[in-house]
Amino acid sequence: MEVKINNQDGNATAQLIGRLDTPASQEISGDFETLAQYAAGTIILDCTQLEYISSSGLRLFLSLRKAAAAKGGKVIVKSINKDIRSVFMMTGFLNLFEIQD
Amino acid sequence: MKKHKKQRSLSTKLSLWTVLFAGVIFIAAHGVFFNESRLAVQNAAIENATRILDNTVLRVDNILTQVKVATDNTDWLITRHLDAPDSMFVYSRRILQNNPNLNGCSISFEPFYFSERGQYFSAYSQNVGGVIRTTQEGNDHYQYFSMDWYQLPKLLERPCWTEPFVDFNPEGFSSNDMIISYCKPIRDREGEFIGTIAVDLSLEWLSQTISAVKPYPNSYTIMIGKGGTFFVHPDTTKLFYQTIFTQTMLEPDSAITDLGHAMQAGEQGYRELVIEGENSFVFFKPLGDTGWSVGLVCPAHDIFGGYYRLINTIIGIVIVGLLLMLMSFSSILTKQLEPLEELAWQAEEIASGNFDEELAESNRNDEIGKLSNSFRHMQQSLVTQMDELKHVNEQKGRIEGELKVARDIQMAMLPKIFPPYPERSDIDVFGQLTPAKEVGGDLFDFYIRDEKLFFCIGDVSGKGIPASLYMVVTKALFRTVSSHEASPEKIIYDLNEVLSHDNDSNMFVTFFAGVLDLPTGRLHYCNAGHDAPLLIGHTGAGLLPVDSNLPIGVMPGWKFSRQETMMDPDTTIFLYTDGLNEAENISHQQFEMTRVLELARSMQQQNDFKPMSIVKQMTESVRQFVGEADQSDDLTMLALQYTKHQENLTYQRSLTLTNDLKRVPRLNTFIDEVCEANGFDMAATMQINLAIEEAVVNVMNYAYPKGTKGDITIETKANKSELSFIISDTGKPFDPTAKAEVDITLSAEDRSIGGLGIHLIRQIMDHINYERVDGHNILTLIKKLGK
Repeated sequence: MEVKINNQDGNATAQLIGRLDTPASQEISGDFETLAQYAAGTIILDCTQLEYISSSGLRLFLSLRKAAAAKGGKVIVKSINKDIRSVFMMTGFLNLFEIQD
Repeated sequence: MKKHKKQRSLSTKLSLWTVLFAGVIFIAAHGVFFNESRLAVQNAAIENATRILDNTVLRVDNILTQVKVATDNTDWLITRHLDAPDSMFVYSRRILQNNPNLNGCSISFEPFYFSERGQYFSAYSQNVGGVIRTTQEGNDHYQYFSMDWYQLPKLLERPCWTEPFVDFNPEGFSSNDMIISYCKPIRDREGEFIGTIAVDLSLEWLSQTISAVKPYPNSYTIMIGKGGTFFVHPDTTKLFYQTIFTQTMLEPDSAITDLGHAMQAGEQGYRELVIEGENSFVFFKPLGDTGWSVGLVCPAHDIFGGYYRLINTIIGIVIVGLLLMLMSFSSILTKQLEPLEELAWQAEEIASGNFDEELAESNRNDEIGKLSNSFRHMQQSLVTQMDELKHVNEQKGRIEGELKVARDIQMAMLPKIFPPYPERSDIDVFGQLTPAKEVGGDLFDFYIRDEKLFFCIGDVSGKGIPASLYMVVTKALFRTVSSHEASPEKIIYDLNEVLSHDNDSNMFVTFFAGVLDLPTGRLHYCNAGHDAPLLIGHTGAGLLPVDSNLPIGVMPGWKFSRQETMMDPDTTIFLYTDGLNEAENISHQQFEMTRVLELARSMQQQNDFKPMSIVKQMTESVRQFVGEADQSDDLTMLALQYTKHQENLTYQRSLTLTNDLKRVPRLNTFIDEVCEANGFDMAATMQINLAIEEAVVNVMNYAYPKGTKGDITIETKANKSELSFIISDTGKPFDPTAKAEVDITLSAEDRSIGGLGIHLIRQIMDHINYERVDGHNILTLIKKLGK
């Protein structure tokens, strides 16, 4: 699992690459703490290359979303595949995030 | 209109009776009075008539005596002066002169008595209108010695009265009047008959004298001679030609005949008889020595005229009086009974349902006043009573309506679709609740969660509404608690904690809760003071052993014990409330457990113990036993039959991992292979992967405390229809199914971080089931094939 973060002007874009299973969530939790620093701005989570997400991954997403909500920023989830979209649907995450294709 | 008729009839009846009564008294009194007074009048009339008749007879007697005296006075002169025939004229004349009432007088001698005067010598004087004429009578044409008046004294040799005759003398100056004569023989000194002196009396004059006295306007006098001939009668045609008997020859009349005979016989008296069609009294008396009889005929209506007038007047007064009495009575009664009429009308009004009729208070002191006031009070209290009754009825109706709604609500809370799980082959359930009243305190429930059948039966103490309220709470609590708690003793513990606190009314529930693990057939149960259920299976029928726990609601903090058994295939567990074994018939005998067990054994022997069949047979048996008696208690039965799944495995693999998150990718590889082998596509495979990962990670995180080592075994099995993952570990008891569901509709701020894993498992898998068996957590996840 790999996370590439680009930041500019208080906004950040993170590219999530690979399977975000439970162990992977532990691995990248530091990256999400980094992203949380941009919670006042716009954080784009680019999921183009995200293959899988477990509830641990979803928790990272939700924590970031809560941080952004607290600081007035927003989290945009970009280009999720069909399988992950169905997971988002099952968990009600489609309503919590701004989803971009 | 009707009321008037009734009213008039009462007052008229009373008046009529009164007047009738008075009338009868009047008639009786007047009847006596009339009778007595009639007799008095009659006696007075008889007395009066008799006196008048006596007077009349006396007067006639006087006249006749006068005639006799006059005759006798002349008699001796004649005898002395027989030598001077001419003196006879003087004597004859003198009699008339001295007695102006006399009609005539003849002094007649035997032929040739005075030879010088020839054959005839009769000195005759006659009073014609006050002028006395005297002549010598007798010639060849009128040979007087052949006349009655001459012959009778000669033959009788004594003086006598002739019958009336017409004073007819063809030569002389006769008057043609009817006369009677007093004749007396003239004798010489030797006593030899030499002639007759006859003094005439006008019958008309006599008649006038007799008839002069009229005691009654229509009374008249009659006189009859010796032969019964009428000498005096107002009808002159009858005179001399008819006798008193003439009439009886045409029409026999014993009364008249008797009267005639009495008068002829010279009797004195009176007769009451009908004369010429008129009721009359005839008073009669003989007239001296003449042999004649005088009668006074008095019509009864004359005698009783005054009496009848008096009677008529009295009757008139009585009739008018009675009529006036009737009218005034009727009017007074009508007026007096007016309040009754009013009452009758009001009673009718009230009878027709109009209770609001205002009744005035009567100020009369009599019975009618009392009746009016009583009636008024009755009406007032009737109005009050009716209002109360109406109120009570309305309330009752409302309560009944509400009870019906309550019953509907209560019944709707119970499972009512049978069979409840037609798609399942492993479980069959049938339940039935019959409350003794509209609502009851019995309850039963069952449902399947995570491949576990939760079921319960309970009986709240008491009956009716209080019990039903407790029942509703109990049932709702059972659902709530069991939604996250799969241990029956804990479910009951929680129920007891809630229901025993603030239990002021000391209600309690006997309760049996069971949790049947459908994949394994393991039954956990807890009995809180309820009757032990029956188990009916292929090997026999008997009671399920139960611990004696307190009923729910009695004591907070009570630790309820759990029991466990394995359900043999096809075994039915039959639960019931005491409405079954304590059902009473008319003689208050109970159905009792022996009968229940007998029936269960008989069904077992006939291999007929399907849930519905058991409940129906029990119901019918109790119904027959109870007969006509009212249902004494709520009756509830619940039967569940468990049939274990046939395995018929088509696929089987397993994997054991240590509790290390780093082992997750190994798990993912394993799941991918299993899914591929069972024909799931990429998307489904990813989801199943997600579900199993979540379940395994849960075990790693929670069953094994940090720093402890343990294994997690994932066993996969597939039959034709489904793929099962059985995840087992030896960690501490951990039931992920007992977690409350996350609410995915909440906003990001409100959502909790946790709970997503079990939520995803439930979303992805078709069934989830947790069991803690022999120190193992066993979580079974099932995904249907071909989905």
